[in-house]
Amino acid sequence: MTTSTLLAQALVNGLIIGLLYLLMAVGFTLVFGVMRIVNFAHGEFYMLGAFAAYILVSQYELPFIAAVALAFLFAVAVGWVVEEVVLKPFRHDELNGMIATIGLAMILQAGALILYGPDSQFMPAVADGAITLGAVVLPMSRLYVVGFSLAVLLALYVFLGHTRTGRALRAVVQDTEIAAAQGIRTRIMYPLGFGIGVGLAAVAGALMAPLFSVSPFVGATPLLKAFVVVILGGLGSIPGAALASILLGLAESVTSTFMSNSIAEILIFVLVMAMLIVRPTGLFGRSEA
Amino acid sequence: MQDGKVLLATAVPTAAPPAPRRNPWSMLGVLALLALAILPLTVGKDFTLHLAIQICINVVLVSGLSLLARAGQVSLCHGAFAGIGAYVSVLVVMGLGQPFLLGVIAAMLAAGVFAFLLGTVMLRLTGVYFVLLTFAFGEFVRLVLLEGDSVTGGANGITGVPPAALLGHVLDYKTGFYLLALACAAGVIWLLHTLYRSPAGQAIDAVGENAQLAEATGISVRGTQRYAFTLGSALAGLGGALTAHYLRYVSPESFSMHLSLALIIMMVVGGRRYLFGPVIGALIMTPLPELFRGAVETQNIFYGAALILMLRFLPQGLASLFRSRRAQKVIQGDKA
Repeated sequence: MTTSTLLAQALVNGLIIGLLYLLMAVGFTLVFGVMRIVNFAHGEFYMLGAFAAYILVSQYELPFIAAVALAFLFAVAVGWVVEEVVLKPFRHDELNGMIATIGLAMILQAGALILYGPDSQFMPAVADGAITLGAVVLPMSRLYVVGFSLAVLLALYVFLGHTRTGRALRAVVQDTEIAAAQGIRTRIMYPLGFGIGVGLAAVAGALMAPLFSVSPFVGATPLLKAFVVVILGGLGSIPGAALASILLGLAESVTSTFMSNSIAEILIFVLVMAMLIVRPTGLFGRSEA
Repeated sequence: MQDGKVLLATAVPTAAPPAPRRNPWSMLGVLALLALAILPLTVGKDFTLHLAIQICINVVLVSGLSLLARAGQVSLCHGAFAGIGAYVSVLVVMGLGQPFLLGVIAAMLAAGVFAFLLGTVMLRLTGVYFVLLTFAFGEFVRLVLLEGDSVTGGANGITGVPPAALLGHVLDYKTGFYLLALACAAGVIWLLHTLYRSPAGQAIDAVGENAQLAEATGISVRGTQRYAFTLGSALAGLGGALTAHYLRYVSPESFSMHLSLALIIMMVVGGRRYLFGPVIGALIMTPLPELFRGAVETQNIFYGAALILMLRFLPQGLASLFRSRRAQKVIQGDKA
C-alpha cells in the first residue's frame, strides 16, 4: 500500500472514530453545561447502554434499531431517577458533585459486575461486508454505526435548536437564573438534561456493542476520550465538542498508523494539559463569569 | 481597606481549625489512638500488623491530599505522586545502590519538585479545571511509567525491591516495618499539627475558606496553594516510597487512578478540613476490603454509597462529629 492510501484509510477511520467520540462527548458536555457537574459516571452509562443493547438483541431478539432506542429510553429514565435521588443536592456544587458521581460510577460498575460477571460478552455484527472506495475499505458494520450516530446527532440538533423543551434546556445551560426568570421550569430541566446526556452515552454504548465486546469495564476508555474531547473543545460547548472529537479521531488514527499507539496516547495527554494551561476554556468554551 | 481588616478579624476564627485544647474529645482521641497504635504489637499477628502498616501509609498519603484540600483544591493525581516517589526511591536504592533513607529523601524531593513545577503552571486553574488537569497528569504519569520499560520495567513493574533498612538494621519483618510506618504517620501528623497553627497554616485555611478574601488581605492564593501542593505531594512521595519497600514491588497499576480515588474517598469520609480526618478515614476505609473479602463488587458498592451519603449528610466527614462545642456553634452560626 502506498503512503497516500494509508493516509486516506487513516483519515476515514479517524472520521468514523471521531463521530463515535462525539456521541459520547456531546452528552458529557451537555450534563456539564446544565449542572456544572463533571460526570465521572458517564462511562458507566455507556456500559449500561451496551449491556441493554446486548441483552435486548441476544436474549429478546429485538431488531438492533429498537434495542438502541430502548437503551436510550432506559438510560434517560435511570439518569432522571439518579439526578432526583442522588445528585439533586449537588447542583452547581462542582467539587462535591463531581466526587458524588465517582461514587455513582463505582456503584453502577459493581452492580453490573454482580449481575453479569467480569467476562466479556460478544454480540453478532449488525451488518457484514464492506464497501471499497478506490483503495479505501469501509466495513459495513462501521458504516451502519456511523449512519446511526449521524441520525442521533441530527435529532439532538433539531431537539436543541427547534423544539420548545430543547430551547429551554439551552437557556438553562446559558444562564440558569435568567432562564428561571423567563418562566422556564428549571426543576424539570436538571433531571431532563442529565437524563438526555447520559442517554446519549447509552446510545454510544449500544452502537458500539456489536463492534467491540461488552463487559462491566467497557466504560473506562470512552469516559477518558470524552474527557479529552470536552477539555479540548471547552466544557459545556457542543460545537467545541464536535470539532474536538473529529480532530481527536483524526489525530489518533493518523498517529497510530504512523507511530506507536502509546506514544500517540501520551502526546494526546500532553496536548490536553497544554490546552488546559493555555486556554482552560477550550476552543469554544465560555469563561466563567 | 478598613472594611477588609474588619472582615479579616471576623473571618479568622471561623477559618481556623477548632481549637484542640478546648475540645473535650481531643484527650480521649489521643488516648484511643495510642491504644490503637499499640494494639497490633500486642496482638502480634502478621495479618493485624499488615493492616496496621497499610493504615499508617494511608494516613501519610491522605494527610498530603487533605493539605491541598484545605487550601481549596482537589487533586486527582495524588496516586501519581505516590508512584513517582515509589519509582524514584526504588531506582535510587536499586539502581544507584544508595541506602533506603536516601531513597526516601529522593522520593520526597522528586515528588515535591514535580509538584512545585506543575503547581506553578497548573494552579492558575481552580475547581473542576484543576481537577481535570490533575486527572490528565495522573494518566500521563501512568502511561510514561508503562512506556519507559527500560527504566521502569513497563507493565511488569520492578520486583525484588530491597526491604527498608535504617542504621544498618534491616526491617524485613512486619513489626519492624510497622514501627517505621507508625513513626512516619505520627511524624506527618505532628508536622501538619505544627503547620496548621503557624501563620503559613492559617494562610492555607484562609485561602481554602475564601480565596478572594484571602487575596484581598494580602495572602498570595497561588503561592499558598503551590506551597500546599508541593508539601502534600512530597508526603505522597513518602507514602509511595514506604509502599514500595514494604510490598517490595512496584508497578504502574498500583499507582493508577484507583489509588487516587481511594485516597479521595478516605479523605471525604474522614473529614477534609480536620487534622485527624485522614487518620479516621484511613482507619475506617483501609480494613474494609477485608470485611468484603472475595466480594470486590459489594465492597465497591459500599464505597460508592458511603461516599455519596457522606457528601450528602456529613460533607465535613466523620471528624466533624468530634469537633468541640465552640467550633460547632461557630459553624452553625455560619450557616444561619
